[in-house]
Amino acid sequence: MKLLPLIIRNAFRNRRRTILTILSIGMSLFLISTLRTLLTSLESPPMTPESAKRVVTRHQTSLGAPMPIAYRDKIKGVPGVEEVTVTQWFGGEYKDPSLFFAQFAVDADRFFDVYGEAKLQSPDQAEAFKRERTGALAGVKLAERFGWKVGDTVTLKGMLFPFNLESRIVGLVDGGGSEVTYYFRYDYFNELFNNAGIASTFAVKAKSPDDLPAISEAIDEMFRNSTAPTKTETEAAFILGFASMWGDVRTLIVSISTIVLFTVVLVAANTMAMSIRERTGEIAILKTLGFSPATVLSMMVGESTVIAAVGGLGGSLAAKLIFGNVDMQMVSGGFLQGFFVQWSTVAMSLGIALIVALTSTALPAWSASRIPIADAIRRRGE
Amino acid sequence: MIPFKYNLRSLIVRRVGTVMTVFGVALTVSVFISILAMVQGIQGVFVDTGEPLNLLVIRQGSQSETNSFFAREIKGIVETMDGVSTVSGEAIVLLNQERSSGGSTNVVLRGISDKSLELRPKIKLVEGRMFRPGLREVVVAKTISGRFKNTRLGDKVKIGKTTWDIVGLIDAAHTAYDSEIWADYNEVAGEFERPIYSSLLIRVADASSIQTLKDRIANDPRIKLDVFREQEYFANQTSTATPIKVMGYVVAIIMAIGSCFAIMNTMYAATAYRSREIATLRVLGYKRRNILVSFMLESLVLSVLGGIVGVMLALPVNGISTGTMNFQSFSEIVFQFRITPQLMAEGILFAAVMGVIGGLLPARSAAKALIVRALREA
Repeated sequence: MKLLPLIIRNAFRNRRRTILTILSIGMSLFLISTLRTLLTSLESPPMTPESAKRVVTRHQTSLGAPMPIAYRDKIKGVPGVEEVTVTQWFGGEYKDPSLFFAQFAVDADRFFDVYGEAKLQSPDQAEAFKRERTGALAGVKLAERFGWKVGDTVTLKGMLFPFNLESRIVGLVDGGGSEVTYYFRYDYFNELFNNAGIASTFAVKAKSPDDLPAISEAIDEMFRNSTAPTKTETEAAFILGFASMWGDVRTLIVSISTIVLFTVVLVAANTMAMSIRERTGEIAILKTLGFSPATVLSMMVGESTVIAAVGGLGGSLAAKLIFGNVDMQMVSGGFLQGFFVQWSTVAMSLGIALIVALTSTALPAWSASRIPIADAIRRRGE
Repeated sequence: MIPFKYNLRSLIVRRVGTVMTVFGVALTVSVFISILAMVQGIQGVFVDTGEPLNLLVIRQGSQSETNSFFAREIKGIVETMDGVSTVSGEAIVLLNQERSSGGSTNVVLRGISDKSLELRPKIKLVEGRMFRPGLREVVVAKTISGRFKNTRLGDKVKIGKTTWDIVGLIDAAHTAYDSEIWADYNEVAGEFERPIYSSLLIRVADASSIQTLKDRIANDPRIKLDVFREQEYFANQTSTATPIKVMGYVVAIIMAIGSCFAIMNTMYAATAYRSREIATLRVLGYKRRNILVSFMLESLVLSVLGGIVGVMLALPVNGISTGTMNFQSFSEIVFQFRITPQLMAEGILFAAVMGVIGGLLPARSAAKALIVRALREA
């Protein structure tokens, strides 16, 4: 520990080189932190105690195949089910195809019993939604994005369905993902669709999370031999199913991160090799003064550890700061949820930095610490 | 002009540093190329799909075959129009299939007519036989056979409520159809109780009647349909590659900034070691400009070497098959990494830009150094 001041002074004596190295390592660890966050954001959607009580029922074939709306009441009758609402994906276009956001037709009188975490600004908004057939609820962030206010009329152009849907915002909703979603009433949707009576998904809330497996099984069993057999899974599994549609994202991200890691090792090794080579003479003097090869070695490893740790922590914390302040959910149109750097990622970056420091310094430092003093002094100035 | 040999030799003298810097740049370039090879692969699939004389018709406003459905009578109306040579009515159902590697995604099941193959001459049966009408049999694109569970020749796959036999494999020449499962239209419509068409594929009699026929279909009040040239319909789906493209550029730019710092480090060291040499060159009569150019060249050589190595490191991914979500059709599109000569050139250019940016400051400071001070040092 006595040596720490010396190590730090050494690390910063060629200030320009040290800063460039720190920046280079920092960029790489910033990237690795971002990639890991992308992976966690895709693979572990934010779960609340409320969402842990829900299952989602869809047609067994795929989301593209519709179920009859009559399933709603049959599911409601399954033991352990507290409430169920249809969640019919609309997939309409608002002004321009690039302005994508999620739109669902839901049961106005049941929606808030199933999605307890979704909060309205006032209870009258819930009443208005139940009262007005063409009423709609807009997520607060969505409303902010488009400058909507309560009372505004929004027209969604039908893409999946052969009609446009015009609705009036009667409330703003927040919490559990509802903040970037647009909800309107299923009975209104159904009327526009010539009372086709179809549903793409049902959201089912159980009385207790322990009942979920039994409920899922009971629902699927009930419709096994009907015209539209179902698949019921937990909300988490349902969302993960979406993530897996993007393809093998995990392999892609892990391979990129590995390559980035190699570049960090190269950069660090190059810097340390340069600075150790410059200092061959000094090392000889240190040894003449009685420093053991082990101490000399640990000083050099210590120096690269300081550099790598500053770079690694800096890059990772910069990522944490940036993604903590930029609303990635909005930037990505709702695609990235919960996109913030976790402390475990920062710790991982620090760990990577330490390993990089060790691997990159080991060889040049070891050979430098073993050069006979006479040789080293002779090499000075070369 | 300072002889180029001077730079080459000094790169060789400092070979450890040179190699490490070159590999740093190389890894950055290889990531850049690999990700863009995916973008090229995806775009290539869509650009290569479709025949020039084919028109594709879907429900008005639906934008994709998956979202489209219309009454079967419409086919009869279209068939009798002038300029129409052949019409194939088809139905699309999305099947949620488990991948062999884990996870699941949607695969297109296409119910085809006896005209479908005739209208798509690129598609060939490569193994087994065609399905027989009236039986629950399917053929699977060879590229996705094995990619999903129970999709090999001879396997049985559950579709709807029944089990279907896989009797053949088709090769669609790396087009979008290479991600599909095909069965007889009547079987698909029966299984899912959907007596509708999702799309009509129309062969036009000759190129001159394409536009008139398009207008005729679009303006016919009896049928509310959107009509595209088949090639145009698929070319519109290249936006599938956008998320990967964005990711590729973000990753490449961040890595490139890091690499620029690394090049700067190497070049600063290179100029520092040689400050006396530089001063000597100046004494010999070389101008500051010559020194600047010389060190910029050295940095450029370093980075372009890195670019070339990076291209070579990336080459093995060429041809690897993978898949991602086509969100227009809400189903998986299978594609191959595609490294084109143009992409290789872009990778090397990318490296050269890093070299110029990373080399500029060190070369400038070398050129600006005072002769007297440099000679007195060390």
